[in-house]
Amino acid sequence: MSKELICLSNCVMSYGDDIVLDHINLYIKDKEFLTLLGPSGCGKTTTLRIIGGFLLPTSGDILFDGARINDVPPHKRMVNTVFQRYALFPHLNVFENVAFGLRMGQTQIQEVKGKQVRCKVKLPEEEIRSRVLDMLEIVNLKGFEKRSISALSGGQQQRVAIARALVNRPKVLLLDEPLGALDMRLRKDMQNELKRIQQEMGITFIYVTHDQEEALAMSDTVVVMDGGRIQQIGTPEDIYNEPKNAFVADFIGESNIIDGVMRADGEVEIFNRRFQCLDKGFAPNEPVDVVIRPEDVDIVAEEQGQLKGTVTSVTFKGVHYDTIVDFYGFKWLIQTTDFCPVDSRIGIKIDPDGIHVMKKSRYSGLFGDYSSYSEEYDEIGDADYDFEQDGSREGGDEE
Amino acid sequence: MRQRSRIGSRLIIGLVFLFLYLPIFLLIIFSFNRGDSSVVWRGFSFHWYAKLFQNRLIMESVYTTLLVSLLATAISTVVGTFASIGVYSLTRRWRDPILVVNDIPMMNADIVTGVSLCLFFVAFFQGWGSFAQWFNSVQGLVELPVRLTLGLGTLLLAHVAFNIPYVILNVAPKLRRMDKNLVDAAQDLGCTWMQAFYKVILPEIKPGIVSGALIAFTMSVDDFVISYFTAGSSTSTLAMAIYGMARRRITPEINAVSTLLFLAVLILLVVNNLREARLERLAQQQPIHQPRRPDIVERLAQGAATVRGRWLRRGVALAMACVFVVVVCLLSAATGAQPVVNVCSWGEYIAPELIEQFEQETGIRVNYQTTDSNETLYSLLKSGGADYDVVVPSDYMISQLIEENMLEELNYNNIPNFSLIDDRFKNLSYDPENKYTVPYTWGTVGLIYNTTMVKEEITSWSALYSDEYADNVLLINNSRDALGIALIYLGYSVNTTDEEEIREAYRLIADANRRGVFQARVMDEVFQYMEGGNAAIGTYYAGDYLTMLENNEDLAFVVPEEGSNWFVDAMCVLRDAPHKEEAEKWINFIASTEANLANMDEIWYASPNREALEQYPAYYEEKYEEPLDMEFYEIMAAPQEVLDRCEAYLVLPSEIRTLYNDLWIQLGA
Repeated sequence: MSKELICLSNCVMSYGDDIVLDHINLYIKDKEFLTLLGPSGCGKTTTLRIIGGFLLPTSGDILFDGARINDVPPHKRMVNTVFQRYALFPHLNVFENVAFGLRMGQTQIQEVKGKQVRCKVKLPEEEIRSRVLDMLEIVNLKGFEKRSISALSGGQQQRVAIARALVNRPKVLLLDEPLGALDMRLRKDMQNELKRIQQEMGITFIYVTHDQEEALAMSDTVVVMDGGRIQQIGTPEDIYNEPKNAFVADFIGESNIIDGVMRADGEVEIFNRRFQCLDKGFAPNEPVDVVIRPEDVDIVAEEQGQLKGTVTSVTFKGVHYDTIVDFYGFKWLIQTTDFCPVDSRIGIKIDPDGIHVMKKSRYSGLFGDYSSYSEEYDEIGDADYDFEQDGSREGGDEE
Repeated sequence: MRQRSRIGSRLIIGLVFLFLYLPIFLLIIFSFNRGDSSVVWRGFSFHWYAKLFQNRLIMESVYTTLLVSLLATAISTVVGTFASIGVYSLTRRWRDPILVVNDIPMMNADIVTGVSLCLFFVAFFQGWGSFAQWFNSVQGLVELPVRLTLGLGTLLLAHVAFNIPYVILNVAPKLRRMDKNLVDAAQDLGCTWMQAFYKVILPEIKPGIVSGALIAFTMSVDDFVISYFTAGSSTSTLAMAIYGMARRRITPEINAVSTLLFLAVLILLVVNNLREARLERLAQQQPIHQPRRPDIVERLAQGAATVRGRWLRRGVALAMACVFVVVVCLLSAATGAQPVVNVCSWGEYIAPELIEQFEQETGIRVNYQTTDSNETLYSLLKSGGADYDVVVPSDYMISQLIEENMLEELNYNNIPNFSLIDDRFKNLSYDPENKYTVPYTWGTVGLIYNTTMVKEEITSWSALYSDEYADNVLLINNSRDALGIALIYLGYSVNTTDEEEIREAYRLIADANRRGVFQARVMDEVFQYMEGGNAAIGTYYAGDYLTMLENNEDLAFVVPEEGSNWFVDAMCVLRDAPHKEEAEKWINFIASTEANLANMDEIWYASPNREALEQYPAYYEEKYEEPLDMEFYEIMAAPQEVLDRCEAYLVLPSEIRTLYNDLWIQLGA
């Protein structure tokens, strides 16, 4: 988990005035599960396609194992891709789809007269057969070899696509929203399965998704992107607990983001009240964004509270209640196991480690107010999600 | 009530189909006619099919048609497929307008496409000529041909050009339905772009490519108009050959070849429809555990995936490349190595065995083409696209060509058989010093009538204009003949330039027309009218009367006492003809007594060869073992006293030609 396998340095992708990627710098380590996370249009798929070789960056370099591979065509890269809509070959059956890459021959580096030469080597038919069958077993599709692609369900097609890519034993597997077209239950199963496969085979996965839960659950490293820029790179815990700016804080989980002023190291002022925190290193009296996660707030009696407010709505979520509380005109989301009826006055207490202070950014003031809170708010990332638009997979997704 | 309406709608459907298919059935039935009429049934026979396969002109045009259609289909399928892929890799902003532009050539009138391609080629040849001259003058290593002409090459290019849109039209929808990521996926799995094309794109869009190719092939075989303008003089497709033959009349041979063409296209369409129906059925009931039997292409593709198959695939590609090279070599050899003479004549105007005989004797290949009238020939020559050596125009057209300096003087030392031409046919008014021409045939125009409908014996042109046969007279449908005959009847010269005389002749016709004397205005349709007994009186050429007589014994022919037109068709060589030497050999061969006898026997137009005229009765008796009916012979080869009554056409001054045209249009209105 230490070697840098892929490195993007200062990658820019633009179409005329339209800048899709803005100076991306990214290192991907060997055997890492890295997720590119962001809303649609953030540049995550473009980044993936640059790594796959389907797009040439306008400027900047892409290095593989230390060598520049900008000009290497896709078929010569040690990378395989699972495409958004699987892109299985409809005229071939399951076996032949999976065997496709193997039949094209394996690239090997051979010594010829002291020079290293890449050449394609044909695989013997028995090896192709055993590798395909092994791979179908790994993805739980044993016995499906002879099926035609159109006779498979969405989940099965998904697994064929993964098998087709993995059977080539790539160094890196690129996955472009691979679970997007599946229903919720199937998606959860496939998440576990993908993680298992990645660990079993020890391959680097670069995974593109707009689903933050998926990203947190599966990844070693999460890269949050927006507007063609990387907003934050870190482990899922880092990203969740120490968001760099209001965008990351909002996109990952639920957050109340409040304007504050840093009065001293470890002391931040919100609503004219001072709170103890763990953040240091800000200038005196610097305006900041303060993130308070809904689960880090304790509800107490009104008189004991550091802040006092009125409950405006309560929604039962099973484990907890989503409670919206109005503090001086600003609405907070608080997740609590205590039921507080609407219109009741409550107080809250926040521990110092429940407060996270961020520098002001261009995202300040855009997020974090729950005034217009509704159930849909959970699904913010799905709002512009467009797979089903062309209906080309009609009837294929039911199992 | 409902019952009745159902019967009514079935009746209408029946009528529609009858209307659509009856003409074709008629054509098919008459292709099996033993006689040579398109009206009178003489019993069942395969005679015309047998004759068809012996007819070199037709077989050559079939060969040309197949060659051009197959090559054009192959080229346009490949080009069209890649073009579609190219168009689909563009952004929508460019793609949609391009696809609309692609549709325009298909909707465009063929005649516009044909004429514009012809103009384009001729303009290009001119530019090429100057370039080649300059290029040859600045270096001596490579000699570029200076003179290019319309021919097989331009025909092929034209067919490729009009076929490509049909291929794109069929391939594009398949590409639109294809998942764009498929190509990425294939490349991702180790394919180069070309491999991805073969292994993924091709199988996906194969149905579109196959139906595109089938439609392109059908269009190619079918095409007449565009071919007509781009094939030039030395090449003719089947459709053009049929058109050339049909100038005189629609013979059962044409019926036979049309029947075969119809069947060929029908089979193609049925094959295509069955294939599409099968694909549709498969798409509907997707078998899960029962893989369908792969068809031959898929089996080949599967074979190609194995190691052995790779060699097989390379072998097939190699074989195809070899065939292509061989075809190209053969084509260039056929046109380059052998001496050639390009002849342009009229349809059904030669005994076909003469061509083969000449080729065997001299080793010169005869490229024998036909056009349908003096006027068409003239415009072909003027357009510059033709490269004929020998043409056979009629007298008045010859004098026009001489006037415009378009003919080459002949070297009569190379044409010893010219001495056999009867003196009556030398030094005629169209070529007074006889420097340019050798006569080919001659004949008279006369009045043909049906003796069951006309009781008296006709001796005067007056029958044409009299009320006695009102609505039973056929007027010849061209201004020169119709006005010429009226002038003769009125006692004027057929070549008069006196406007008043011409107007008087016109009034004679217009007056009869107003009184409803004329049933119709016809040229070659005269065969159907007279053979079928549908009209009493018509005007036509003596040789054609004899053909009609075979199918209707009641017909009679007369050159009326006022006189008539007599005509000569003569062979001439065009100025700057590329094969003048071969052309003179051909003319000499055709002028021989043997050739004239064979021609007379075949086409029943009189020969200008003195010996042939004398020997024909004996030739006939030996060949058919019965004496020649001299009455008929004198109709074909009119005796001198009849000729003395007749006058040949001369070229008219252009203002008189305009007057003729104007009057003729006035009559129609």
